[in-house]
Amino acid sequence: MKILVVEDDKTVGEYVRRGLDEAGYHAELVGDGDEGLRLATGGHFDLLVLDLRLPKLSGIDVLRTLRDRGNGLPVLVLTAQDAVDFKVQALRMGADDYVTKPFAFEELLARVEALGRRPKAIAPPVLQVADLTLDTGSREVTRARKRIELTPKEYAVLEYLMRHHGRVMSRTLITEYAWDYHFDPGTNIVDVVITRLRKKIDQGREPKLIHTVRGVGYVVRA
Amino acid sequence: METIRGRLTVWYATALILSLAVFAVVLYFARRSASYQDLERRIQSEADLTAGILAESYRARGVLLEQDTAGRPVLINEVAAVLEVVPDFLLVTSRDGRLLFASPDARALTFPEFEQLLQLAAAGPGGRAKGVHRIAPNGPTVHYLVRSVPEAGGQFGAIVAGAGTRSAELGLDQLISTLIVAFVLGIVPAVVVGRWIAGRALEPVDQIITEVREISDGRSLHRRLALPMERDELGRLAETLNQMMTRLERSFAALRRFTADASHELKTPLTVARAGVERAITRPDLPQETLAALEETLQEVNRMTELVDALLMLARVDEGRAELHREQVDLRAIVDEARETGELLAEQAGVAIEVHTPPQPVVLAVDRRRVHQLILNLVENAVKYTPRGGTVVLQLSASNGRVLLTVADSGIGIAPGDLPHIFDRFWRADSARTRTGERPGTGLGLAICKWIAEAHGGSIEVQSRPGRGTTFTVTFPHSDG
Repeated sequence: MKILVVEDDKTVGEYVRRGLDEAGYHAELVGDGDEGLRLATGGHFDLLVLDLRLPKLSGIDVLRTLRDRGNGLPVLVLTAQDAVDFKVQALRMGADDYVTKPFAFEELLARVEALGRRPKAIAPPVLQVADLTLDTGSREVTRARKRIELTPKEYAVLEYLMRHHGRVMSRTLITEYAWDYHFDPGTNIVDVVITRLRKKIDQGREPKLIHTVRGVGYVVRA
Repeated sequence: METIRGRLTVWYATALILSLAVFAVVLYFARRSASYQDLERRIQSEADLTAGILAESYRARGVLLEQDTAGRPVLINEVAAVLEVVPDFLLVTSRDGRLLFASPDARALTFPEFEQLLQLAAAGPGGRAKGVHRIAPNGPTVHYLVRSVPEAGGQFGAIVAGAGTRSAELGLDQLISTLIVAFVLGIVPAVVVGRWIAGRALEPVDQIITEVREISDGRSLHRRLALPMERDELGRLAETLNQMMTRLERSFAALRRFTADASHELKTPLTVARAGVERAITRPDLPQETLAALEETLQEVNRMTELVDALLMLARVDEGRAELHREQVDLRAIVDEARETGELLAEQAGVAIEVHTPPQPVVLAVDRRRVHQLILNLVENAVKYTPRGGTVVLQLSASNGRVLLTVADSGIGIAPGDLPHIFDRFWRADSARTRTGERPGTGLGLAICKWIAEAHGGSIEVQSRPGRGTTFTVTFPHSDG
């Protein structure tokens, strides 16, 4: 799947492009609206990631021109505006979804996946670490074939850790993924969820799968 | 009445009543004093007339006294007949104080009254006196005059002329009733006309009020008031208001530009910082210290992001541009959504939490995300200020057409002096009150809660007792249909 990224800030654009590449997409980056519109209408891309503030032609104009020409290319808007009402505005203009800056890459990726065809290699429907499985379709979790009941937040945290198994995920990243809410710094709500998860998943079983990395976060690995 | 029109009418009527009253009082006393002067003049002239008749008769006849059947001296008939026609009270006495003549009015008095009148003559013989005398405790008041008749060869002692005040009072009574009637007849039309004049004068003001209200709803700031032709006070008021609106429009535009620019300018560097940290932190095999440092940086980036978001949101609130996306939602669903997070927050702080929702649905048109944020803000706040072992109660209830959302804690409470400020932006209680080792929040959380409650047409209230706990109550009006 080919993705066109139109973003005037080089660092952000480069980050998005590389991140998408690493996730298995083919991403191309351009820095202004004119060029973006030209490439987007060319028909070589499956998805457009569009910043709204662009030199020459603004993102809004790119989007409007695109839709006026009857082009139905899926568009994911990047915006610095956080307003909830912005969603309505962006959707009204013909965007398919939006991500507000600063965004967690995970979030951007999730929207991209939702808008495009989801490459099988990236997100297998069933995640597995040792004898722990998590079915992202049915939201079923088992260990050693025994079903484990999880609350929504426990599920979200476990899914995130299992998606990135073997990598240390920081508390902040986990919190962002599982909650659409900023907590006070120092609120160690993730620790509580991990304690609960450990009870349900690791207690009385070997090997232990959830590990703490002090001062940073947690990792799931066999 | 709470309108200028009403007040003007009241002032108007009061001024009119006061001036009418002053007029009436002055008129009354002037009239009264004139009446009494007339009375005095009348008895003076009656006394003088009597003295003149007696003196004239003496010159013509000499002796003016004769014996009556009982042998008492009386005025001879010819003279008495002349004096009979004098009105009011008239007495003529002899040198030794005996009564020689009494006028018909005087004779009509009761005996004790008559006796008193006679005693007045004792000021004579030859005496002169003048005065007011109340004959009986409830009898008529009499103005009287005593004079002598020196020209009559010493036959007479004194002449007493007197008149009751009743005739004078009668005229004054009539005056009072006339004044009262004039008063009533004058006031009513004056109030009606006053009200009408005030209403007419203020009509353009009402019009200005309506127009300004339409303009200042936040979307029509480009409009201006129509200026009347006259350069009177109202014309100048309209002009001043127009100038004010021009300045308002400018500053609103500047604020709008600022919020858009600030969003961009503040968030782009945050995005860059975040992107860098995120890429680094998810790289495998980093030393733990590096990871910890990156995690701290990420936290700070988030903290900054939250602050920027909150500031921008409040800026939009000030502009009147912050909008709600209402949908019909069962509030119990939002509470349930927040329930697990609330429990986790409570558990990490060692605090118990209870969540109560009613058995029946509580459906309201609300902005789901905002109300969720409101609940979590309040719960997080409650947990933060409640020591280990305490309790936080989140309750949703509906009664009397209102929906109440309360978050009560058994925490440290808020000092009474702090209560009025807790919804102020950036306001924080004494830092000593927060749990040690914890960094304070943005100081905008409760300000945002207040906005969310009020934007839904509701309100937020707080009750607190230091050391006992705090209760936040959010009230939503029930919008049935």
